[in-house]
Amino acid sequence: MDVLSNLAMGFSIALTPFNLLMATAGVIVGTLIGALPGVGPVSGVALLLPLTFGMDPTSGIIMLAALYAGSMYGGTITSVLINTPGESASVVTCLDGYQMALQGRAGPALGVAALGSFIAGTFGVILLMLTSPALARWALSFGPPETFALMLLGLTTVTGLTGENALKGYMSMLFGLMLSMVGFDIISGDARYAFGIPEMMDGVDFLPVAIGLFGLGEVLVGAEEAAELHILQGRYGLRDVMLSAGDWVRSRWAIVRGTVLGFFIGVLPGAGPTIATFLAYALEKKVSRHPAEFGKGAIEGVAAPEAANNAASAGAMVPMLTLGIPGSATTAIMLGGLMMWGLRPGPLLFEKNPQFVWGLIASQYIANVMLLILNVAFIPMFVRALRIPYSILMPLIIIFCITGAYAQKNAVWDVGQMLVFGVLGYAMKKLGYSPAALTLALVLGPLAERALRQSLIISDAGLGIFFLRPISAVLTVAALAAVAVPVARALRAAASRIRRVPVPAPED
Amino acid sequence: MRCADRIAGAALLAFSVAFAVGALRHYTYWGASGPGSAFLPFWLGVGMAVLAGMQLVGAVRSGVAGPAWLPRGEGLRRLVVVLAVTVAFVALLKVVGMILGTVLFLIVLLRWLEGYRWPVTLGVAVLAAGAHYLVFTYWLRVPFPVSALGF
Repeated sequence: MDVLSNLAMGFSIALTPFNLLMATAGVIVGTLIGALPGVGPVSGVALLLPLTFGMDPTSGIIMLAALYAGSMYGGTITSVLINTPGESASVVTCLDGYQMALQGRAGPALGVAALGSFIAGTFGVILLMLTSPALARWALSFGPPETFALMLLGLTTVTGLTGENALKGYMSMLFGLMLSMVGFDIISGDARYAFGIPEMMDGVDFLPVAIGLFGLGEVLVGAEEAAELHILQGRYGLRDVMLSAGDWVRSRWAIVRGTVLGFFIGVLPGAGPTIATFLAYALEKKVSRHPAEFGKGAIEGVAAPEAANNAASAGAMVPMLTLGIPGSATTAIMLGGLMMWGLRPGPLLFEKNPQFVWGLIASQYIANVMLLILNVAFIPMFVRALRIPYSILMPLIIIFCITGAYAQKNAVWDVGQMLVFGVLGYAMKKLGYSPAALTLALVLGPLAERALRQSLIISDAGLGIFFLRPISAVLTVAALAAVAVPVARALRAAASRIRRVPVPAPED
Repeated sequence: MRCADRIAGAALLAFSVAFAVGALRHYTYWGASGPGSAFLPFWLGVGMAVLAGMQLVGAVRSGVAGPAWLPRGEGLRRLVVVLAVTVAFVALLKVVGMILGTVLFLIVLLRWLEGYRWPVTLGVAVLAAGAHYLVFTYWLRVPFPVSALGF
């Protein structure tokens, strides 16, 4: 009853004309930001954060949270239609979404993403509302070993998923972790690998790297060809994006699994929507009766990660609001906003600022309804925007990449960094390395290092600490299995090749 | 360029050895309370060295040419032009400013690389620069570099 009366109070706040306007602006701008390659929720929230300082904090957070949810929907459109993720949480959607589009099924791919996002987003908010206090207590019991084990699992699972060459996947991941070591070490204060350059002391920033790898890198691959074949043609009217009964039957449990998994991954500190999408995809592939179809246009491969990223973006709000720990890079920026607005995130926020919390929760219900309408009825409008010839779109995307890299910190250094990673992204794609594994490792690196070092400091058994605590033991064993399975497969394949190929006799 | 796997393997092997050695030489591996700032970088370097070594050995022993990563002919010309114009834009950003730079960047690529007619080229360049100014400079108040002309 308490929840219902609080929710009613929340709706009375969220439905005021100004807050409704802010939610509308947030979902539209968020969808566009998600759809445009090279700009994602992190840069979107960071760019719009200064605009909210003149507002009431509740209106500000309503707009930013709506933008966050919108970008999770919008990222799908470019993943499906031009095989370029609009933001990092849509990387996995490319795998099957683009294949579906190649087969003329872009409509159902976008439809299942919109429907899955709506269901997941709505259930995510319900779960956020009902379980916040309990989940906060549970997450509080997570020590450094559990946090590290969770990140290890995320990293190894991602690497197993991306690319056909597991060795190159792990190399990409390690390279990302190595890059994340650059800059000030928060424990000792050492400026590692900075070579006396002030900008390097701040570390390798995630945003220019992501924009370079996924935005510019993709453009450079496309720049080689003069042909106009990158944006797939098709029909995306209301009727075309409606799911057939068969599609619904195949995707409904994927949506449910993606929602539940995504929400709980989102709640865990440091593991945001991106990691949730990779795990949801891996889970779906594991439980599927036809795993061979994954990567070739399986609708579950779109439904599960799309549900997971929306549920995770709701889940990521839980640790931000209740513990003051961001669940994702985007909520980390929102957390900064909360503090600048003079609010103190933590368990007391629910008691001291109920209007803020419940206004936010109610506005998330409204934002999800708006987004479903926008992403079902207005998809042709977004597709039309994407139908600009690639030869015109290509230089425009480059300008957007430069803008996105610059606008975060107003630094030309970041633009240079983006350029370097654009060239690297091009080479990685051409040579079969995994930009997604590199990016995720770069984000998780500092958090994982802190958790690892804290674990070893409190441990009496060295690395054994990861196997002595039940939650971290399960997660660590799963992470090691994720590495062992592709390695064993590769060794078995190599052994069978050796048996088949006659060994040449020594020369002498 | 068809031995890219060997080159990448060798380069990453050298990089990771330097990374691990650099960690041990300049930072603390194990401090009074536990692992120091060199601990994880060292082991990441070791891990990468092992994987890069595996790739190098595999590429040399297999004798199979790795993937070709640079295009030839027209594709290479297009790639070089796009990259060179982009690098020039970024290098001159503080001199030409964002808006004028955007117009010039689009004119060079649309007119000379893609062969669009002047009306289309100028139309896209001016519209894009105008939209960019409205959204990022006017609305979002991002302080982009400006040219001596004031825009």
